[in-house]
Amino acid sequence: MNGGFLVVRRGGATWAVAHQEVQGLAGRGAGFVVRVAAGALAADEVLGVTVGLRLHPAGGVLRRFWPEAARGLAVHGTLPLVLIDALAPPRALLEVEPPPLPSSPSSPSSSPARDAEGVLEEGSS
Amino acid sequence: MAPTTDPPFASPVSSSSPGSPASPAGWEAPAAPQGRVEATHLLVRAGEYVCALPLAAVRQVLRSLPLYPLPGSAPELKGLAEFGGDLLPVLDLARLARAPQGANPTFPVTVVAWAGPPESRELVGLAADAALDVVVLPAAAVLPAAGIGGDAGLVAGEALVAGQLVRVINLQALGQGS
Repeated sequence: MNGGFLVVRRGGATWAVAHQEVQGLAGRGAGFVVRVAAGALAADEVLGVTVGLRLHPAGGVLRRFWPEAARGLAVHGTLPLVLIDALAPPRALLEVEPPPLPSSPSSPSSSPARDAEGVLEEGSS
Repeated sequence: MAPTTDPPFASPVSSSSPGSPASPAGWEAPAAPQGRVEATHLLVRAGEYVCALPLAAVRQVLRSLPLYPLPGSAPELKGLAEFGGDLLPVLDLARLARAPQGANPTFPVTVVAWAGPPESRELVGLAADAALDVVVLPAAAVLPAAGIGGDAGLVAGEALVAGQLVRVINLQALGQGS
């Protein structure tokens, strides 16, 4: 995975999502919603985008006491970071309903990349 | 490079093998035949209990590392910490030992130790209240801890050290499924 990672904070922990697995990013209230294949993930803060994470697999001790799927662990600066599996993200992140998809291609929008709720669609910049 | 601080050792509870009086000169590093090394343990206060960790498995004793909790984790897992560029799961030693939490569970000490079976051992952090002393606990001095309800063999047994009951922790059992 060399394509970059979206880094967010949620629940006091730092999480990363591989760039190619991010389907959308939206502001919601004071936080954000990150859309991935499994649904919408809540984030308290977007920390940025990074590349070149040195990933390690989760060890047996961590898996025993934190029974969630993860693609790996890394250090981002000095912050421990968990790279989530976009098909099976941690339940703690799946606390919001998916934001509504744009309902119609004929819906007027001031920007093709942003709908009325501020959802940034994949491939936009 | 791993962070290094002065080991925050507290006042020892003993200075010798169990059942013998403490040496007036204090604990001295054993000149170590293999069996003695395997029997040497670090005593750590965890909540209201004192736990014995195999010294051969202990890599470092640090003042508490900054912790980042993982939502959805079991209560034993305090969080993740950065240690020398790598990540450690940091566990609450008192909970692992089934010890009641102390009056002020601030976990000022993190013991970095190898856990799990030898073929797949990994570094973990054990959040504790204080590192106390190093003692020799021969296998015969460790009695089975019946009825503790330890977690998958994590509490290997109990031993009497200078009149105080100590829970002996089997770190090799830590990486195994519950």
